[in-house]
Amino acid sequence: MKLKLRILLSTAFVLCLMVGAYAQNIQFKGKVNNKATGENLAGATIIVKGTKQSTVSDQNGQFVISIPTKGASLVISFVGMTSIERFVNASSKTDFLLELSNSNNLDEVIVVGYGSQKITKVSGAISTIKSADIEKINAVRTEEALQGRAAGVNVIQGGSPGSKPTVLIRGIPSFTGTDPTVIIDGVQQSLVDLNSINPADIETINVLKDAATTAIYGVKGGNGVIVVTTKSGRRNQKAEFSFSSNYGIQQVTNMIGTLNASEYGAMINEGSTTAGGPVIFPNLSTLGVGNNWQKEVFKDAPVQIYSLNAKGGSDKMTYLLSAGYLNQSGIVGGAGKSNFSRGNFTANLSFDLSAKLKLIINASALTLESKGIAENSFNSVLGSALNFDPTVSLLNTTNNGSKYGYSNLLLSEIFNPLTVLENTYNKNLGTKLYGKFELQYNVAKNLSLISRFGYTKYDGNAKTFTPLTFYGPLNVDNSMNADGSAVAGKHNRIAHEKTSNFNYTFENYFDYNLKRNEHSFNLIGGIAASKLTGNAAGATRQDVPFNSWEFADFTAATGANTATNTDALSGYYYQYFRKNISYFGRLNYDYNEKYLASVSARRDGSIAFGNENQFGNFYATSLGWVVSNEKFFQSKMVNFFKIRGSYGTTGNENVNPQFVGIITGGPSYGPTANSNGYSFGEVFTPGSTIGSAANNALRWEKQVQSNIGFDLTFMNNRFTINADYFNKSVDGLLFTPSASLYLGTVPIPQANIGTTKSSGFDLTINYRNSPNKKVQFNSSLTFTKATNEVTSTNSDGTAKILGGYYFNGQSQSVTVFEKGFTPGYFYGFKTNGLFQNAAEVTASPKQAGAQAGDIKYVDINGDNVIDALDKTKIGDPFAKFTLGWNVNVQVGNFDFVSFVYASVGNDIYRAFERNANYTNKPREILARWTGENSTNDARFPRYSFVDNNNNARVSDRYVEDGSFVKIKNLQIGYSLPASLTKKGLDKVRFYLQVKNAYTFTKYTGYDPEIPGGILETGVDRGAYPQPRTFALGLDIKF
Amino acid sequence: MNIIMKNYFKLLILIVTFCSLESCTKFVDYNPHEEFKITDQDYLKSESDYRSMAVSVYTPLQWINQVVPIGEIASDNAVAGGENASDVLSLQQIDDYTHNAVNGQLTEIWQSAYEGINRANYINQYKAVNPAGVAVNFAGKDALFGETLFLRGYYYFTLVKMFGDVPLFTDKRLSLSESKSLKRAPKADVYKQIETDLIAAIAALPAVQNEKGRITKLAAQALLGKVYMYQNKFELAATTLETVITSNAFSLVSNFGSIFLLSGENGPESVFEIQYSNTSPYYNWGGATRGQGNYAIQQCGIRGLNGSADMPYAAGWSTNLPTANLANAYEAGDQRKAVTILDIEAYKAANPSYNVTYQVAPYKNTGLYNQKYLPRKGQTSGQIELNYLNNFRIIRYSDVLLMAAEANVKAATANETKAKTYLNLVRRRAFGNNSRDITSSGTTLYNDILNERRLELAMEGDRFFDLVRTGKASATLGSKFVVGKHELFPIPQTEIDISGIPQNAGY
Repeated sequence: MKLKLRILLSTAFVLCLMVGAYAQNIQFKGKVNNKATGENLAGATIIVKGTKQSTVSDQNGQFVISIPTKGASLVISFVGMTSIERFVNASSKTDFLLELSNSNNLDEVIVVGYGSQKITKVSGAISTIKSADIEKINAVRTEEALQGRAAGVNVIQGGSPGSKPTVLIRGIPSFTGTDPTVIIDGVQQSLVDLNSINPADIETINVLKDAATTAIYGVKGGNGVIVVTTKSGRRNQKAEFSFSSNYGIQQVTNMIGTLNASEYGAMINEGSTTAGGPVIFPNLSTLGVGNNWQKEVFKDAPVQIYSLNAKGGSDKMTYLLSAGYLNQSGIVGGAGKSNFSRGNFTANLSFDLSAKLKLIINASALTLESKGIAENSFNSVLGSALNFDPTVSLLNTTNNGSKYGYSNLLLSEIFNPLTVLENTYNKNLGTKLYGKFELQYNVAKNLSLISRFGYTKYDGNAKTFTPLTFYGPLNVDNSMNADGSAVAGKHNRIAHEKTSNFNYTFENYFDYNLKRNEHSFNLIGGIAASKLTGNAAGATRQDVPFNSWEFADFTAATGANTATNTDALSGYYYQYFRKNISYFGRLNYDYNEKYLASVSARRDGSIAFGNENQFGNFYATSLGWVVSNEKFFQSKMVNFFKIRGSYGTTGNENVNPQFVGIITGGPSYGPTANSNGYSFGEVFTPGSTIGSAANNALRWEKQVQSNIGFDLTFMNNRFTINADYFNKSVDGLLFTPSASLYLGTVPIPQANIGTTKSSGFDLTINYRNSPNKKVQFNSSLTFTKATNEVTSTNSDGTAKILGGYYFNGQSQSVTVFEKGFTPGYFYGFKTNGLFQNAAEVTASPKQAGAQAGDIKYVDINGDNVIDALDKTKIGDPFAKFTLGWNVNVQVGNFDFVSFVYASVGNDIYRAFERNANYTNKPREILARWTGENSTNDARFPRYSFVDNNNNARVSDRYVEDGSFVKIKNLQIGYSLPASLTKKGLDKVRFYLQVKNAYTFTKYTGYDPEIPGGILETGVDRGAYPQPRTFALGLDIKF
Repeated sequence: MNIIMKNYFKLLILIVTFCSLESCTKFVDYNPHEEFKITDQDYLKSESDYRSMAVSVYTPLQWINQVVPIGEIASDNAVAGGENASDVLSLQQIDDYTHNAVNGQLTEIWQSAYEGINRANYINQYKAVNPAGVAVNFAGKDALFGETLFLRGYYYFTLVKMFGDVPLFTDKRLSLSESKSLKRAPKADVYKQIETDLIAAIAALPAVQNEKGRITKLAAQALLGKVYMYQNKFELAATTLETVITSNAFSLVSNFGSIFLLSGENGPESVFEIQYSNTSPYYNWGGATRGQGNYAIQQCGIRGLNGSADMPYAAGWSTNLPTANLANAYEAGDQRKAVTILDIEAYKAANPSYNVTYQVAPYKNTGLYNQKYLPRKGQTSGQIELNYLNNFRIIRYSDVLLMAAEANVKAATANETKAKTYLNLVRRRAFGNNSRDITSSGTTLYNDILNERRLELAMEGDRFFDLVRTGKASATLGSKFVVGKHELFPIPQTEIDISGIPQNAGY
């Protein structure tokens, strides 16, 4: 896009010199049609090449333009179609047929870091997604459009409205900070910011994957870069409006089988009696089926997306004005409790201030609003729904304390999910303004200077109300008594937090083009400075009047601190900042578009790095060979064939500023409990000491990546294959090094001592065909595979990062980032069936507390004792490979889209079973061990309240294969024929859409896609499932 | 338009030149003040900074409390009790003499003592001028530094008596770059440094401090005396301890039991006590010994103890139990026996109104409990296990008297009369009269003094170290004590692995 603008600018410049050269003109009349469908194309732009002369085609695709008598070249362009250029004079053909553009298009220009490049000249690895695909998915968040469509990108989505998915570009380099950098119209943003862009405003998304394309971003490039280019108007374009609306109903796709009330009663009786206890439910026959709490918490929830935009331009300026509104309610708890909405207004404007100076202003303002429920955590609503007592009545009929029924068996931690939902009150509001000011100054024909100031301003305002709650007369977690009074010492509480941040990036660079005979050069170089500042202030107060959300505000609450209650009123404030300075440059070279070479470099300084390593240097080089441009390569089959290779380094700024700090006070709850102070007599005197140490050598995580790939287009441009193999190694991961104990207890600062390596394969195959004018077919397949290994941590390999914490009667951790293994793998005991009898227990390696019917664990280290040393790898939450398959078919006025996504080899750890005596259980427990040889399946040991064998320990009993094939999107649309659309309407299309239509999986939980950090992915503690959505949509252009 | 272009151009040139210069690097210089962080450069600018920093040199004293139970469990006085053979494994192994270099309690003592040394070093490093190069002078500065020197001496003394040769450094707080750089210094050098520190402390410290628990000149003299005893420098010990005695600052209280009550803390015979309190409740199991409370008290408690409201004791873990051997060592009429040892069955029988119930400590049960430090109701707070207020009586006046007696017997110019005087002061308090005065001499007198130390100081953490110091460990503890090995504890394996220093013989 920018290159085009620059071409326009330079042509304008040339024109100035030639003013008045043509006196004799004729009027040329022409017509623009869609080559495939024959449809008239209204609004196509026609430019007389080398002049400022331009016009736009009318309703019937017709145009008139003035050209010199001796003829001129016309450039005809239309959004989404390939521009054509043809020399015309008075006697020329007047029909111009345009073809749909797509990735097969070899004239396409794609946006890379600090510029754009003709796709055939690119020697790095890039995946591209276009607006047509993005529009078809009706995404809430932009990442949805990347899933399965961008090879090399692994997206794991969540179901909670507006939630951020896991996005990994080419493997897992680290245990934290793995989000790719996002560049929106040249301005650096973060993955979080993708929640605030209206997907309908996006023109293209390019994912920069290898070092050749990301090294220009230095320390920000290590996790790959997502380059988003938004739409803009075109010069001399008549105002074009488009409106789209989409309304859908979302519902849960499946429920988890739990015991009904009578089955539950029988199981509880068994659990109690086998442990020597009493029968809990003496009369099972009265229990019936009871309540399935899942049915009560899932609600059908609406989702609506509207967007309206206008674009166009005069000969001096262009504009895009867009407004959008989205509201997605959640299926867990419904709109009142779980919700995400976004309203945005965008203006992308460009002005020619003079023949040489152009000003671009992009500005987006938006409001974000969300409400959330506890999910995928201890006490999540779904966790409660799965574990709560099914014999409890829906409503509380016995006393006044709560609206919904209560259990007299589950007396803590696990509550009626409806009571939990009813007492969940929160609201998060955000406003954001982001965009850029950019000046482009054409110093000379080939040289331009670009100065860009990009910014993001965010203000958040969040409020959470924790009311006094009654969970049941015997419940120990009650904060309210049945009569509505507060339990002694308990208070309701309102918490407010206001957050604010402002980030800017100020970049200045030049762009120089040189063409000498067959040699083309493009050189850029510049300086970027960026600063991020933020702060947060919060306040909490107890005693909200009437225990009500209506009065839930600091100003209405009455809590005041006393000697015995110091938490009635409290507040906090903190602030943070980051600064970076960078120098960058890149030289692209090609010889006759046949031999390609590129060298890029960046020097990055960060405030976060230690004094001794304030700056880091990154570089990359790439080579390409367009074999199909060689004379010797004459093939009718192959239209284009390019071989590419690249090598280079990037970084990752996962560090914090270093300083030697003083701490003053008393106890320390830090990792080394480095406390202070002393009690002289019984009187405590605070003390002070050194509380932190600085690692002045701290630096970035450094990544070295090599990439080799090819792009092949063949069979009359019908097939395109892009394939890449990459290999990368990361060093400098932060771990706490082993240090002499005689240094004392000041926490040892982290050091860059960890390493990982990843390798993988990305493949995109595209096929398109248009067998006749009425039918167009386009299908693409992507394949993404990456394997990862942690190759070192600290010197003795003992440093581990644990995660995946959950609670099932005991605190458990299931994931670990450890030397010699894949990142975030599941770590626990391997099972080997069940002990069938006492003799078998005796004959097996010593396993404390085991008896017949208990799980037999595997003695991994062969020491004849089952203990912590026998824990081993029991699963991997990350897919071995993923596939995306997209089909677009257009038959006459009908169009059909289907998108299927598959993930293979991702394991899931089922952590939602709370395993308390009186919790409900999965139905599978009905197949439990009940006596010798009843079953040998380690997932179903005997059931008893007393579990001396600790059958609930972390083991492969809870690991399931989460591989899945999801039909993510099905859409059938109908566009009104041109003859029916009234004057003024260019296009009217209706469609029906089903998102997440069906999931093929063996996983027994809700949804095998469970996002999170590297150590949280795949751990299902009652994660929010993605809904199935039935939607109806309307697109209008006029 | 031209003006805009020209200005824009100028601005651009300005930015480019600006950024080519040094100022650009400054853009990414980190200044912690921008985040309102207090750094080492900002501190030690006033008297109160120095005083506050000196307070924290005391803090690790509280963390090394396991030296006391280890000093008893490793001896014939106590066993590790507990639930089973793997309960409190690190103490259990010490009890059984199967301990090795992987021992959490030993590692905690090692690392905590070194934190104390680093803290003392840091403040001493900036005695003359602070990190900013400015001298901060105030009244009592030398005395304050005297406290820190005493503390450094005490930390090194703890290390040397437990581990023998240890890394020795006094010039500064070590930073990460000094990790793995030190060797073990000979025990003699460590002792020499301890003496130097204590002599300097004695010169600087006042005889009396206003705050209870602050180090006094007399405490430093007493510790110096003890340090001499550990090196068999009996003449120096005798004269040094004599100054403590002749200062008349201390006296023996007649009711032995009152010493170990809350009301007896920092009492008339308290020379040096490590202070604990329950006024700053602490909850961190990740650093169980690092609060203001005394973690070792819970270890002495009786399992599942219950009783009427009047019954004074609280329940505990039963992982530090006196032996029958110790109980039997007391003569009839010695008031110290009942104060030192609580026989739970006897107590139950003697106090039926308390309705005492309890669980027998399943492992190594002796039925006897450490009455000196038995947890008492109302003396903890917050996370009750971690927050007992009981001070550890580290040097009592009776200890000073018994050391002086021993020194006077062992000194080249022995003074047995003086020795017996001091010994019998202790015995008269124990029995309430002079009927059990010792009249022996020579080796018998020496052994009588050592036996008196055991009885007087039982369960206070000295027994094992006294046995080693006097060369009586092997004879007393039997064959499980390997001569040439068990005099010292192993250096933590982590330190061996990381710092590459040699292990103690036999481990």
